[in-house]
Amino acid sequence: MGGAAVDQGKGRVRARTIRVAVLYIALTLAAAVVLFPFFWMIVTALKMPGHAFDPEILPRPPTLDNFKKVFTEYGFVRYFMNSGIVAVSSGVFATLFAALAAYAFVFKKFRGRDKIFAVIIASMMVPGLMYVVPQFAIVKKLGWMNTYRAMVVPHLANAFGLFLLRQYMVTIPRSLIDAAKIDGASDFQVFGYIVVPLTLPVIATLFLLTFQFHWSNFLWQLIVANRESLYTVPVGLAMFKQQHEQLYTLKMAASAISIIPISVIFVFAQKYFIEGVTRGAVKG
Amino acid sequence: MKASLKDNLTSAAFLGPFIIIFALFLAYPLFYSFYLSLNKVTALVNVFENLKFVGLDNFIRLFHDKLFWWSLLMTLYYAALAVPLGIGSALLLAVLLNNKLRFNRLYRTAFFLPYVLDLFVVSVVWTFIYSPHYGVLSRIFEAVGIHYFAEQGFLGRPETTMPAVVIVNVLKGAGFGMLLYLAALQNIPQEVYEAADIDGAGWWTKLRRITLPLLKPVTLFMIIVGVTAALNAFVEVYAMTSGGPSVNVGEQAYGATWVTGYYLFETFYVKLKLGYAAAMSYVLLFLAVTISLINLRILRSRGEN
Repeated sequence: MGGAAVDQGKGRVRARTIRVAVLYIALTLAAAVVLFPFFWMIVTALKMPGHAFDPEILPRPPTLDNFKKVFTEYGFVRYFMNSGIVAVSSGVFATLFAALAAYAFVFKKFRGRDKIFAVIIASMMVPGLMYVVPQFAIVKKLGWMNTYRAMVVPHLANAFGLFLLRQYMVTIPRSLIDAAKIDGASDFQVFGYIVVPLTLPVIATLFLLTFQFHWSNFLWQLIVANRESLYTVPVGLAMFKQQHEQLYTLKMAASAISIIPISVIFVFAQKYFIEGVTRGAVKG
Repeated sequence: MKASLKDNLTSAAFLGPFIIIFALFLAYPLFYSFYLSLNKVTALVNVFENLKFVGLDNFIRLFHDKLFWWSLLMTLYYAALAVPLGIGSALLLAVLLNNKLRFNRLYRTAFFLPYVLDLFVVSVVWTFIYSPHYGVLSRIFEAVGIHYFAEQGFLGRPETTMPAVVIVNVLKGAGFGMLLYLAALQNIPQEVYEAADIDGAGWWTKLRRITLPLLKPVTLFMIIVGVTAALNAFVEVYAMTSGGPSVNVGEQAYGATWVTGYYLFETFYVKLKLGYAAAMSYVLLFLAVTISLINLRILRSRGEN
């Protein structure tokens, strides 16, 4: 009888082992499909120029020539800097403006508060493409064409960010704010010393999401900056692609360097990205 | 209690930056766009100064524009592919990850990573993968005896191009839906399954009767995401196909990936027909708002039950 029980136990262990093995195989296959383009991009970037379509999978020998060329012979250092300037300044200011506005919507009283908030939230329904023509017209009229301002300023009112921050700030106990006010703190002090530190995780999330969005805001950057010194990485890549359709190894190297910064940030700050995605979706 | 003047000034200081930019770059453009849609560009220099009022002419022409109807059809086709593929892939990944395995986090990172990467760059990489003859995907198919893709690759034939374009976006975005499904799955109390086990329910019954109904809100959200992606589809089309390859329907040639977003870009940026493009964007707005309202309706009716 005891032996039967042990056998049954062994059977269960085996069933579990098989289940785990099947799951791992499925997960690995799925990961291989999802990540394949990036794998292929990197191995191609490491192949000798002109050998993009070689039958070998792995480059023999691997070379960094493509990366060197992209940086020295083409303007990618510059494009990189531009992407950085645009993405960082957009991230900083969009987050700051959203945090300030969220503070007012949560802790201040003013006429039409809820209506204004509703209008801002409703604007999230508008498809992004709708804005391309009129925003371009405004930027042109302001004389901002071919400036960083044109790439950054039109996107500094982030309705989604306001929503995200407001949702978080309403959970801060009022008593905390009131106590500080009684001690003579101004709204700006309350904002800077109490609200911002308490909201920091969401602020980090919002900064990362806006940074990421502007690092790859291709269409807008293509339209408002047509001077090479202002190209961002994706725009630079688009122009490069037009001129050198056949230089695949170089194209892949340029693609790789544009993807790497976001990937690195992502790996370290993953939890903030995930936070933003799951919080943003449950707005119903 | 009425707010004091000082208090109002403080509120204004907090709101100022956001509201000014909102008004100038998000609210005003909608009105300006409407104004543009009632006008026509009369010269190709200083287009914003050389406008002539034409009333509803742009909308009427749009209504008779075969290419525009075709673009709506292609947008619908895009959505019809993106919605089920998007939901299917996200759900599959979530179900796989919803087991207590040691390397779960690593896989989750792998699946979610492409979501944060640049769509234009990802599209450039895929264009290379989709190449004919020596393209890696053509070669993989040839290795298993399928020669269908060898000559023209995946982006060269009208029948395969749209699915190929949509798959790029679906694979890139799968990790996003996965996270939502995963959160929903982990919110289902274990007791519900245990009760079902006692009743002798198999995994299929449990999936159909318990899991899928509880995931419905996420699925509805994913439908909206898929349709919105179709309405906004531009970057991937610009990078991979430029709206092509061409298909002949009767006398007229159309593009197999000629979605409305791409037509809008072409009209505005290449042809400089601002009024016409603005009219087109109003149709997009109308569609997007309709879909959002339907979504809101569904969510509300769920709340009442």
